[in-house]
Amino acid sequence: MRRFEYHRADTLEQASRLLVDLGDDTFLFNGGTDLLVEIRERLRRVRNVVDIKQIRGLSDITYDETRGLTFGALVTVGRLENLPLVRQRYPNLRAAFASLGSIQVRNRATVVGNVCRASPSADTIPPLIADGAFIHIYSRTNMRVVPLAEFFTGPGKTVLAKGEIVTGITVPPAGDNAGKAYLKHGRRKAMELSTVGVAVSLTMEDGLCNDIRIALGAVGATVLRAPEAEAMLRGTSLDAAIVKNAADKAMEECTPISNVRASAEYRRDMVGVLTGRAIKQALEAFA
Amino acid sequence: MNVTTPIEQRDFKIVGKSVRRDDVLEKVTGEAEYTGDVKLPGMLHGKIKRAAIAHARIKSIDVSKALAYPGVKAVLTHENVPRVLHYGSPHPRSASCTKDQYILDDRVRFWGEGVAAVAAISEEIADEALDLIEVEYEPLPAVFEPEDAAQPGAPLIHEVGPGGNLVLDPVRVNRGDVDAAFAQADFVLEGTFSGGRPHPAYMEPNVCIADWDGSNKLTFWTSTQTSFMVRGILAEVLGLPLTKVRVLVDHMGGGFGAKQDLFQHEFLCALLAKETRRPVKMEFTRHETFVAGRSRHPCKIWLKQGFKNDGTLVARDMKLVYDSGAYGSHGPGVTIVGTTAATSLYRCENVRLEGRCVYTNTPINGAFRGYGVVQSYYALDIQMDEAAERIGMDPAELKLKNVVRAGDIAPSGHPILGHGLEICLQHGMDVLDWKSLRNRDRTPDPKRPHIRTGWGIGCEMHGSSAYPGIKEQGNATVKVNEDGTVTLLTGAAGLGTGAHTALAQIVAEELGVRFEDVGTIHGDTDVVPWDIGAFASHTTYLVGTAAKMAATKVRASVLERAAMKLQVKPGEIDLSEGNIFVKAEPGRFMTVAEAMGPSRGIPAANIVANGTYEPTKSYSFAAHFAEVHVDTETGIVEVKRVIPVHDVGRVIHPIAAQGQIEGGIQQGIGHTLTEDYIIDKKTGRSLNAGLVDYKMPLSMDMPDIETIILEAAPDPGGPWGAKGVGEDPIIAIGPAIANAIHDAIGVRFHHYPITPEDILKALREKGA
Repeated sequence: MRRFEYHRADTLEQASRLLVDLGDDTFLFNGGTDLLVEIRERLRRVRNVVDIKQIRGLSDITYDETRGLTFGALVTVGRLENLPLVRQRYPNLRAAFASLGSIQVRNRATVVGNVCRASPSADTIPPLIADGAFIHIYSRTNMRVVPLAEFFTGPGKTVLAKGEIVTGITVPPAGDNAGKAYLKHGRRKAMELSTVGVAVSLTMEDGLCNDIRIALGAVGATVLRAPEAEAMLRGTSLDAAIVKNAADKAMEECTPISNVRASAEYRRDMVGVLTGRAIKQALEAFA
Repeated sequence: MNVTTPIEQRDFKIVGKSVRRDDVLEKVTGEAEYTGDVKLPGMLHGKIKRAAIAHARIKSIDVSKALAYPGVKAVLTHENVPRVLHYGSPHPRSASCTKDQYILDDRVRFWGEGVAAVAAISEEIADEALDLIEVEYEPLPAVFEPEDAAQPGAPLIHEVGPGGNLVLDPVRVNRGDVDAAFAQADFVLEGTFSGGRPHPAYMEPNVCIADWDGSNKLTFWTSTQTSFMVRGILAEVLGLPLTKVRVLVDHMGGGFGAKQDLFQHEFLCALLAKETRRPVKMEFTRHETFVAGRSRHPCKIWLKQGFKNDGTLVARDMKLVYDSGAYGSHGPGVTIVGTTAATSLYRCENVRLEGRCVYTNTPINGAFRGYGVVQSYYALDIQMDEAAERIGMDPAELKLKNVVRAGDIAPSGHPILGHGLEICLQHGMDVLDWKSLRNRDRTPDPKRPHIRTGWGIGCEMHGSSAYPGIKEQGNATVKVNEDGTVTLLTGAAGLGTGAHTALAQIVAEELGVRFEDVGTIHGDTDVVPWDIGAFASHTTYLVGTAAKMAATKVRASVLERAAMKLQVKPGEIDLSEGNIFVKAEPGRFMTVAEAMGPSRGIPAANIVANGTYEPTKSYSFAAHFAEVHVDTETGIVEVKRVIPVHDVGRVIHPIAAQGQIEGGIQQGIGHTLTEDYIIDKKTGRSLNAGLVDYKMPLSMDMPDIETIILEAAPDPGGPWGAKGVGEDPIIAIGPAIANAIHDAIGVRFHHYPITPEDILKALREKGA
């Protein structure tokens, strides 16, 4: 493993200053489950890491009926995965968290870290986007809140400016009329990077779909929404024929590539299959 | 698990019981010392500079910047290492390998081959120094597929060998009159088959440590299956007598056959240590175990067989081409074993086989559990299923009709003993009620209409020992200590299979002492008797018999001494569970400790005996029954249930045998569905040399496995009839899955791995 300098920040301000002062090739060190592997496999050139694990106030999880679920940057995937609230109200998040890496990885990795890595195949991103989550960003001059759907600019790229640090994520409250699902597709059942991931969050009223968001992972430069498919479904009863047409539309809306994990054609096919299955699973909340 | 024993019963005290393994405590507490745990004072760390080109001549190599880098102690290139042409695999006196390697050459033959080595005070510094080595290459045209490499005028990868990029002259077997038999066949099936490049991915990456002492003696720790072969080839290449090379290996994290080569880093580690006069450690990264380790030979097979309308097989014509990668390694052995294996399994009097092994500019393929037979039996078994389908016969019945039986000539040239395969197949059919499974209701579950279920059978047989390729020899030394405990000295490696436990069981049983009283010394070439290495499913069969022979001898000596002390004739006493008693008066006895120990001016006894055994070969058999679920929308195949029925002769340790079988099935599922080490066919670069994108099945992916072990066909060549079990389980599971997929969705696949994309594509073609 290549050598790097380790720095520890005790406050957000200090961390932010270190990110700026230490210059290029400086990265925040949170769970480290991705960063350390990238250093060892020489996938990322790293001169400095800034450990933020000692910063206070970033480990909280809160929930209220108006604001929803908020968790800090240091909250591990494993902690959220095992939270009764997440199991009950956010089965989509639960599915995504439980499918990330292994138990050992999840006890170390953070959801914010997985989001900030900005991989198009990250498991946590599609359900968070489908749920309309917001991301809280610290900077020494002004704090901002950005819809997660607008956070990503490309593979591994986000809107974060130098010195900005994500402090947490807020997921809107899950109403009783909500149905949610996240389906991950891979070659095996654990320790797997998704070949395709599809998240669906919808609300139903009087048997009709009030609103629906479909988020597609690993089929574009960032996690994508499928706006045309969503439009076809809103206001309908989500019967099988409509869902089939919308799933076909989602296949048109994604932009997958071919690599060693799967061909673009196969990924596109799976968007169709999984979109249909995810809607069906989301509707099971009302069964 | 279920062990059914139709063979002769005797009152075993230890054999056949799953005693607690002698290494279990140190392993579960983390105390067990693996090669990578060895740390020596002043130890340096070595790293290898690897070529990023598939075929080239090195025009120049400049190491000055690397040598000047703080912390670097030595750099080796082809310009300052001995130029000795050597075998890649350390079986130099057999037909199994070929002499085509230099420690470092001025030529690169595959992307990832080592071109230089650095020793530095830390692994990080050694790693950083690699980037400072400047190599100028003159690119050479490269070939990545055996078909291309075998073309006339293709770039030659080696100057040695038979030419035309062949690793060895084609292996040919002709038996009977094949053309006449085809003319008389009622129908003929012909097909091409291919296998990918599965990689063993043992848990413990290759690692070694070299240390030279003041007398110019090399002590060499290395994770190897063949420590005496490592000793021999290191001594040969370094120009040392065997007294000056000591090889040590204690616990191992697997090998699966691939750790029986002598690797480039092992020579370089020894040379770096010599150059710096300090101990040097070299440990592969996971990436390096792929690129610089050994994988299974990709294979292309053409197979034509003729049948009678009643399902009787009458003629077989088969051509196999194995891809050796850039060096020969075990290419010759794999080609010979994989090709000749096709003389058997399903009996056929008229056989024409031709096996070739071809160099390509890709990473080296070598020995891997199933040694060439995984490939050939995949083709054979699937085509038997196709023959059954053709005539509307149950594939189980067709296979049952044709499987080899006692007296048929095995690939080794010997008659097969017992009806092992027939019994396994029939037993599985009975246990599963195969007929009703075949005739089951195939209507899809309305809740999961996209899921189709299928059942398939695969058959296999595999030899214990590498005879006739290698005339093997097993050795053991057994000593009885003055307190009645017993020490077994063996050169057999412990890959993690529990082999040493089985050997200690055999000694305890034969000698008549408790299992706990037998200690095993292994893994030190200066101490233990010579050993050929742990491979070819032979440790229990070969070394087990040698250990039993040595135990027989020391038992006689112990009885002789006890008779003297008891003042009776040796024939009047017997030895059981550590007690020696007078047969006529069981109340009159002494312990082995009392017999051995000093008494009344008589010093303690020194009882030592050697056992040496040179076997021919035995065959073990298995039929695997597999159930799959195929998702017709995603193409995902899930193996739900496997019933492996094995005949391994006498079972020494049932749980260890079961562990071998389950592990083989896990690897076989990977081979058949997900695992393929992919080399870019334009550049020769590895595309998935790591465990992220090389997909091995994990515990979550494992089916229910209901292991059945039948002691159906014991072989007198092994201890109490024991045969091998190491390689067998990986062979039958592949065709069982492929045949089950056909049963589920009506599509035949002739290759592995069968990917979800392949399934969807085939379903579309079928629907169209």
